[in-house]
Amino acid sequence: MTPLTPTALPRGGAASRAALPGKAALAAGLLVLALLPVMTGASNYMLGLLISALILAGIALAWALLGNLGGMVSFGHAAFFGVGGYASALLSGKLDLPVLLTVPAGGLIAAAASLAMLPALRLSGPYFALAILAYAQIFRILATEASWLTGGGAGLQGIPGLPSVFGLDLASRTGSYLLLVAIVTLCALAYAAVRRSPVGLALRAIAESEDATRVVGVNSILLKSMMLLLSAFIAGVFGALNAHIIGFLEPEYAFSGIWSLMPIIAAIFGGYRTVIGPIGGAVIIYLFDQVVAKGLIAVGHQIILGIVLVVMVLAAPNGLLGLIRAKGDRDAAA
Amino acid sequence: MIELLLQALFSGLLVGGVYALVALGLAISFGAMRIINLAHGELVLLAAYCAYVVEARAGLDPYLAIPLALVVVTLVCTAVFLMIDRIRDHRELNSLILTFGVGIVLTNAILLVFASDVRTTSSPVLQDATVLEPIYAMNGELIAFALSLVLMVALWWWLRKSWYGRAVRAVSSNRAAATLMGISPVRTELTAFLVAGALASFAGVALFTMSVVQPALGHALTVKAFIVTVLAGVGSIPGVFLAAILLGITEALTVTLASSALQELVGMVLFLLVLFLLPNGLFGARARRG
Repeated sequence: MTPLTPTALPRGGAASRAALPGKAALAAGLLVLALLPVMTGASNYMLGLLISALILAGIALAWALLGNLGGMVSFGHAAFFGVGGYASALLSGKLDLPVLLTVPAGGLIAAAASLAMLPALRLSGPYFALAILAYAQIFRILATEASWLTGGGAGLQGIPGLPSVFGLDLASRTGSYLLLVAIVTLCALAYAAVRRSPVGLALRAIAESEDATRVVGVNSILLKSMMLLLSAFIAGVFGALNAHIIGFLEPEYAFSGIWSLMPIIAAIFGGYRTVIGPIGGAVIIYLFDQVVAKGLIAVGHQIILGIVLVVMVLAAPNGLLGLIRAKGDRDAAA
Repeated sequence: MIELLLQALFSGLLVGGVYALVALGLAISFGAMRIINLAHGELVLLAAYCAYVVEARAGLDPYLAIPLALVVVTLVCTAVFLMIDRIRDHRELNSLILTFGVGIVLTNAILLVFASDVRTTSSPVLQDATVLEPIYAMNGELIAFALSLVLMVALWWWLRKSWYGRAVRAVSSNRAAATLMGISPVRTELTAFLVAGALASFAGVALFTMSVVQPALGHALTVKAFIVTVLAGVGSIPGVFLAAILLGITEALTVTLASSALQELVGMVLFLLVLFLLPNGLFGARARRG
């Protein structure tokens, strides 16, 4: 039973309405920032890093959606990422369906796979986390064993690439990057919309006290199921996009614990109770890990990420954004 | 075929003994603090690498590493406890994420220092097999199993008879009432956490003497300990022991009858089935549904 804390309460309606122009300016600023690499002609290497960072941002967003609105910590989002990737790769490669169709289909199949986790929604926090961890492991083993479908440990080679749309080659680095900016933005808008809706409010109440919310007549299991499906769908879509961008999948990669671990670090670092936090957190953490940490320590560079995670939980459990906001509140009070 | 099955049953029993040690530590700290320590497997691994250092670098018997392992793991446990104790909001979820982070740090620290190579004991005595026709066992496995039996009885006695043990049980069953009886919940939680660490130390040294260890194993050990805890249900030492043996034997039988790739799968499926269908576990008394 978690006590109600002022920081975790939804912000007042009047305050958020007053902040709207500020939010619009922030969104415009972020969009310019997102387009900057393309406008300044960043190198293919840099675009490649940013593409991976945005894919991570997508899963981090999916993770945070479930963590924030469902109050459930998932240690197994690799399952949805992997299922989405394999589903889209197989549909496009074996059945020759257009990639633009198989990517959302991959998301839908990942969401369908999450149905098997519905019984876990009745479990309390830690048990849900462990159930979904075991669930992700099962998929990794199944993908290795079902070699008639997945190619087994050797994996799938030559997955069809992203097509050209309106003269923009999505398979190019610039094209993939712009596509990911668009889709991450779309997911963020969808998340924000759900958050503002009555469903989102009910879910945040559930995260604070499920028993109390149930007493008021909210069907918490139904709402949590919806968040699980949506979260799995988003993670699946990014798994599919990733598969078509890199053109290759194997079980140890597609279902790697990294896809469960990195979104958690990214979302916690940025602030998982917000929409922007996981995206910014993912981009910062990924670039930091690949450029700085890997440069300092070749093997075992994740030790730095682990330390970041521990420090964030202790010093700023609401992430960087929470830290900035808390400072803003203090300045406003002074 | 019968001989193969007998061998599988026996090997599963011996492995189950070490699973039980790993799982008991986890169950004790969870029982007292209601907090899952996701770095528990990494603590076990830390102790295993202490045994490796003592044997490979100092040339001593790996069991002589137990004092070193106890010191190292106790230090880490105390640090982790102090960190968990600092968490105020959303204690359950934040401590889960915190210990997850500690696990990442420990795994990568071990990777940094010892590289990703697989390590095991080189002691000829431990690796020698004792043959009891038609089955056999490595001496290391037999000693580790005996050690886990002794520790389980010791733990059972401690929880039943000692003041601190009874305090741990009191806090675990009703924290508020225990506080009213003059028990300091924080000190009791620390005690339970350190006892869990001590069990992890023994488990790690035993693991090194009977099997192979590598840096990535910590996470898998935590998961195994959880499978056992969930199978057992909360609150019974014999339950944990039986569940651990059950998991060990099921895994060994899967390897013998099907394939080694499916070994992990069986544990996971068993875990989910029991979690979904029998929320009190096979031997537990208390409900865990939220």
